[in-house]
Amino acid sequence: MTAATLTVRPQGRRAPGEGNPKARRRLSGWWLLLAPILVFDVILFLTPLGKLVASSFADNAYQRVLEDPLVLRSLANTLSISLASTIVTVVLGYVIALVLWRAGNIARVVLFAVVLLPFWTGILVKNFAWAVLLQDNGIVNAFLQGIGLTSAPIELLHNRFAVIVGLVHCLLPYAVFPIFSSLTAIDDRLGLAARSLGAREGSVFRRITLPLSAPGISAAGLLVFIISTGFFITPVVMGGPGDMMIANQIDYYARQLTDFSGAAALAVVLTVMVSIMVAVYQRVLKAGGQHEDN
Amino acid sequence: MKTTNPQHRVLALLSVPVFLFLVIPTAIVVPVALNDSRYITFPPEGFSFAAVAGFFGDKAWTSALTASLQSAGIAVVIGVLLGSTAAIGLHGRKFPGRSAVMGLILAPMIVPTVVLALAFYQFFISIGMVGSILPIGLAHAVIATPYVYLTTRAALAGLNPALVRSAQSLGAGPLSVLRHVYLPIILPGLISGALFAFSVSIDETVMSLFMQSPSATTLPVKMFTDIQFNLTPKIAVSSALLVSVATIGLLLQVMFVLRRRSTARMLPLAVSAQT
Repeated sequence: MTAATLTVRPQGRRAPGEGNPKARRRLSGWWLLLAPILVFDVILFLTPLGKLVASSFADNAYQRVLEDPLVLRSLANTLSISLASTIVTVVLGYVIALVLWRAGNIARVVLFAVVLLPFWTGILVKNFAWAVLLQDNGIVNAFLQGIGLTSAPIELLHNRFAVIVGLVHCLLPYAVFPIFSSLTAIDDRLGLAARSLGAREGSVFRRITLPLSAPGISAAGLLVFIISTGFFITPVVMGGPGDMMIANQIDYYARQLTDFSGAAALAVVLTVMVSIMVAVYQRVLKAGGQHEDN
Repeated sequence: MKTTNPQHRVLALLSVPVFLFLVIPTAIVVPVALNDSRYITFPPEGFSFAAVAGFFGDKAWTSALTASLQSAGIAVVIGVLLGSTAAIGLHGRKFPGRSAVMGLILAPMIVPTVVLALAFYQFFISIGMVGSILPIGLAHAVIATPYVYLTTRAALAGLNPALVRSAQSLGAGPLSVLRHVYLPIILPGLISGALFAFSVSIDETVMSLFMQSPSATTLPVKMFTDIQFNLTPKIAVSSALLVSVATIGLLLQVMFVLRRRSTARMLPLAVSAQT
């Protein structure tokens, strides 16, 4: 290995034309490996998106959509549904992450599989299952009546509660992972030291575990919020007419009103919002990483 | 549990409903599909393959299944070819614009699917490519490729670039380096990447919905259309089919995690979501 390093490295530093021709051919060969994906993404990713952005500037589209009360309503819905789902998801995700963190090796793998199950299951399968569980004669209503909490079936589907249940179920894995990795970064000796000095479990959690996993919590919250703003299927299947989110509004403009410039303008607004949040998310991840290094 | 103090028992008790919340919806799908009833009920009332037979006897559903498998096939082939070559091409190489190239490769993961759906819808109409499964498969390939890139890159992380240089200095040509140095190392990553690509495509709904036509309706689109009217046994069978795909994917991923002995390794994959 050392010999190879010695013979290859100087070639790279030599002026072009001076080194052996085989080395240069090799270098150009590596570009060929990147060419397929670059060509593919330029034609089938950047071009369609570019055309979308271009079409959004026609017909005064931005002003038109941002003055539409339906759009403002769907933006408000997106904000409130995403915020509520994010809070619930992060709290439940924290509980799961704590259990995973404290679990033994075998239990950890099994529980990880449980967390990853909704991650692998398609969105429509999950929504179908929730519709079965939450329908009027479903098991949840039967349970509520069985324990005497309600006397008749209550409407659990086609409302905002159902949308949030559906979202939280999809989003939980995304919250568990960042929190879990910030927990595993905590030095176990901190807790041992605190306990040996007489700290009780509650105060170890409050004063060591919780503050040190804060970067994971903020990363999880941001990631979950980012993903939740793009939901499309769940509000249709599990929500009512008043629970349309921004993605549904884009669909409404495109396929019902056939107002493509309006749909494109809304799509650009959503993408810009998501991109800003992704940039913040990456900052938070970096800050969290530095924190762990210190 | 490492220790069995009361707080940990409280935590374990607290977490039971949360884990049930995660598992139950997926767990009921297969029993619901095999239920002996014309109505969708859980718990099931009896055992029967009637709904399965009904599904496979219905042309609309079988052609949706075929369309889904075709689009997944396109997405897997393109994703594996482009994702793996990109990961190898970027491995251990520094050049100006490297981070821009990586950004472009991963970008399809962060653009909301509804935005991509609209963009593809307009794009494929403008070039006259409508009414077939090909544009849907290509669109799926766009979002599936980053997954293959990530899994291949993860598999390559253990490969010392000096190994490649030493193979070359011993006279191995580019193709032979690809076959004998890279391929054995990336194979597990390629397999799990292909599985991710398949799963992304088979579950994708929004783009397929925008680009659907009578001759190109995928399984999730058919489910989405029907579910808004009624919960039918055929939707249940379709869900059960997709759950089996998910289970296979999950089992392989768990095996991957066990082999690596590091659960944190799967984290980078949890970036994008099918919404």
